[in-house]
Amino acid sequence: MESSVDIGPASPATLTCLIVDDSAFARFHLKRLIQSMDNVQPSEAANGTEAISEYRRLKPDFVLMDIVMPGLEGVETVRRICETDPFARVIMISSVSHEEKVKEAMEAGARYFLPKPVTPGQLRKAIDEVLKTNRA
Amino acid sequence: MRLDFVRMFIDSTTELFQEVIGPAVNVKSVSVKPSPVAGRDVLTIIGLTGESQGRVIFDMDMYTAIQLAGCMLGEMSPGMTPLVRSSIAELASMAIGQAISRINDSGTRLKMSPPIVITGANLVSYDQCFETLVAPIATAYGEVRINITIQDLN
Repeated sequence: MESSVDIGPASPATLTCLIVDDSAFARFHLKRLIQSMDNVQPSEAANGTEAISEYRRLKPDFVLMDIVMPGLEGVETVRRICETDPFARVIMISSVSHEEKVKEAMEAGARYFLPKPVTPGQLRKAIDEVLKTNRA
Repeated sequence: MRLDFVRMFIDSTTELFQEVIGPAVNVKSVSVKPSPVAGRDVLTIIGLTGESQGRVIFDMDMYTAIQLAGCMLGEMSPGMTPLVRSSIAELASMAIGQAISRINDSGTRLKMSPPIVITGANLVSYDQCFETLVAPIATAYGEVRINITIQDLN
């Protein structure tokens, strides 16, 4: 499942990423995929509340966000992050991917939606897409 | 019992297992049993709420759980570590999440709870006394049973 991924020719600086998932396995898996990319530095949060606080502290270049989490769910977490930073680049990653939920996530401010399980190619494409979007 | 939903849970689990842990997966006989359901060493419980209500329990031997997790993690673990528990929970979550997505896209609002993993010997789920449909799935690492109860609220 692992491969070396080049996320773009003009990215000499290290990018930062926040992985948000209550599942230790999901964080482990996504972190491994991210670390296979040459210039991305991952951080982690295990729930929505922690994600909001870590986002404010780190201002990551992009976020990988789960939906089904105990307490603050992913969509509401994205909404709160985007209230304070409308330019936040959030990629939703969830096993729950029905049309209404995807729409809800995108309306909350997410830029991309990936169904689980995520492959390296899908993740690379999603990151490429969100990095094209503007950031304040 | 919503047998149409039960079929979606079995199909999505079979497909997900094939995608994540390999091709040696097939559903054998499906049986109906009265609650409570006697389980094996590792139970993963996911609650279902919305226009229908119920729960799905995956049960498997400790050996199977550790082997499945090893396959997902790309490395074997010495025992039932927190990461193994999380891997088993995520496997169940992905399987049921795909079925939940199909059910919602077909017009019934249904939500799932985050999975809970319980370990111990001869675990039994003392649930509300609804009939439970049990579907065994054979994997290269041992059998995983899906115990499904789902009823319409009305």
